[in-house]
Amino acid sequence: MKIMNMVEGEARLSHSRREFLIRLATLGAAAALPRVLSSAQTPAAAPARPFRIDTHHHFSAPGQVAEMIARKTGQTPLIEWTPQKSVEDMDKGGVATSILSISEPSVWFGDDAAARKMARECNELGARVMADYPGRFGQFAILPLPDVDGALREIGYSLDTLKADGICMMTSIGGKYPGDPAFEPVMDELNRRKAVVYFHPYRAPCCQNLLPQGTGLGGELVNDTTRAITSVLISSTVVRCPDIRFLWSHGGGTAPYITSRLGGAASKLPKGLIYELQKFYYDTAQAFNPYTLPSFKKLVPISHILFGTDYPFGTGSAPVAKGLRDNGDFSASELRAIERENALELFPRLKS
Amino acid sequence: MYNHSNEPKMNQLHSGGVPRREFLVGLAALGAAAALPKALMAAQARAAASAQPFRIDTHHHFSAPGFVDEIAGRKTGQRPLMEWTVQKSLEDMDKGGVATAILSISEPSVWFGNDNAARRLARECNELGARFMADHPGRFGQFAILPLPDVEGALREIEYALDTLKADGVTVMTSYEGKYLGDPAFARMMDELNRRKAVVYCHPFRAECCKNLQPELGPAVIELGTDTTRTIASVLFSGTAARCPDIRFLWSHGGGTFPYLMNRFLGVAQRPDMAPRLPRGLLYEVQKFYYDTANFFNPYALPTLMKTVPVSHVLFGTDFPFGAAPAQVVAKGLSDYGFSASDLRAIERENALGLFPRLKT
Repeated sequence: MKIMNMVEGEARLSHSRREFLIRLATLGAAAALPRVLSSAQTPAAAPARPFRIDTHHHFSAPGQVAEMIARKTGQTPLIEWTPQKSVEDMDKGGVATSILSISEPSVWFGDDAAARKMARECNELGARVMADYPGRFGQFAILPLPDVDGALREIGYSLDTLKADGICMMTSIGGKYPGDPAFEPVMDELNRRKAVVYFHPYRAPCCQNLLPQGTGLGGELVNDTTRAITSVLISSTVVRCPDIRFLWSHGGGTAPYITSRLGGAASKLPKGLIYELQKFYYDTAQAFNPYTLPSFKKLVPISHILFGTDYPFGTGSAPVAKGLRDNGDFSASELRAIERENALELFPRLKS
Repeated sequence: MYNHSNEPKMNQLHSGGVPRREFLVGLAALGAAAALPKALMAAQARAAASAQPFRIDTHHHFSAPGFVDEIAGRKTGQRPLMEWTVQKSLEDMDKGGVATAILSISEPSVWFGNDNAARRLARECNELGARFMADHPGRFGQFAILPLPDVEGALREIEYALDTLKADGVTVMTSYEGKYLGDPAFARMMDELNRRKAVVYCHPFRAECCKNLQPELGPAVIELGTDTTRTIASVLFSGTAARCPDIRFLWSHGGGTFPYLMNRFLGVAQRPDMAPRLPRGLLYEVQKFYYDTANFFNPYALPTLMKTVPVSHVLFGTDFPFGAAPAQVVAKGLSDYGFSASDLRAIERENALGLFPRLKT
């Protein structure tokens, strides 16, 4: 029981002591374990030394806020975002570093030149926040898609000059999904750079207000993630661009639940559907609940699950950590992988 | 694993993955431990020889000539439905140990813009279904198709199909002309189905919103299941589920994607404008619905479904005539998942007997 108490303060291991010991044994390196555990340990009384890496953490820039207000998107928490609020939540939830990203509706509203300007504004602001709070932030740079030339330019600038950690794309924009032939130059360049490409769902024009009073919004958002996943599969983008590290939001939309259907998108995958699905990365934002996790963790290898909170939406980071413990039946080492180590593989600069 | 060719020992009967202790607990829960070995051996013998079919397939499509004309004319690509015959159904049922299949018309249903034509086509389908029920006693049941969105026609067909044709329930699509099942336009019909305590089997529809979003993908990949999710949300958030507590809703394909997104909808249900429409809570209603296993029996999907809904509300469905030997394949998928013998028996037969007592022999 002492060992269990050593594991992070808020951890509530839901399994019995016997199961816990079995898990310890299956780690296969029992001798090394106390050290592993103690690195995850937090002093019981004091707040945890932050160690988590949050790969789904939104920020906003003034130009983009003006668009959200004008369009009445209802994203009040983003409109009111400040870096201080992020840091406060991160401190509460034991988050060492958050990788900032712009949320939907992204930066393109029909005018390519305006989108380029706004993408640049967002990415430079993200870089400034990274500089102002050393170690606390990273950034997935936003692209002004569907403007492909603008996107290529922003990839170069944000990765080379701003040292962004990866790229943020919407699941669809202008009616185009990421496997669309029009986006091939962008995907090929991201592949050449072995980029981490984080996808955030978009309110696809097809599916707004199908249900009254906004009751369908959450469901529709994640459906667009599933569409984007099928798009990069059916177009064989994943085969042509094997070095892109795809990171899907919200437990992969609905993909893990409908793998029996996705065979229809897998005709051009020499290694098969499940191989490609298990090569992707997925974050835990909105997925850390008792209903999503069973199918999610059945499909996705632990090493490809990343801690994501959806801040400033949702619950904040501490409840995400708690939800993973309450609902995921993860071992201490699995939690450590999800909350930190898997992200270090993608972002080695964060190793300290 | 359950092996049909070998003779499994007693402790293998429950198929793979379930620890012996849980298995015994499961036996005890059946409340008749003494009688069980006999019952289990009987089930085993039946399955091993496929001698006596026992499964009840609640997601099994047929077609009528008028319906085939429509889908052929519209190039829906549903070749197996166009080539359907009752003999093909019986062959698949025999291969997969299915005693009774509840027939239903698939999407795009019978309404193509003209109410009168839809009423006629619904009638043709339902009378043909009734004839198959009569021609092959015990082998078929029927969820009668309704000519929605024509509510008057639907009310008339409910009466005829349930009272005269003795259908086992009705078939509705997930949406009509962009209207989902909780839409006020359908309230009167829902009230009538509630009064009759009907089983309402819901099949997804290729919603207008989402045709050709990804032209290279068929509609079955994402958009059909998504429409099921929308209509479940519609029935919940319109208050229809709470207002019509006696309807037994049966959702196709493991509920579309609803169970995976359950937590999002729990959030919506907490809104002050929505909570009063779900006085017993969203989870209560979701766990009261029934869900079939059609195209939904693989190891990735089932964990979330089984976490969300009780075993007693999962029904064996095959999606026949889509897929190869669907009854056999679905039965194997469920068996491989590691359900206990009693859970499998419930999913494959007993849960359906609760809904269709006439099938008890």
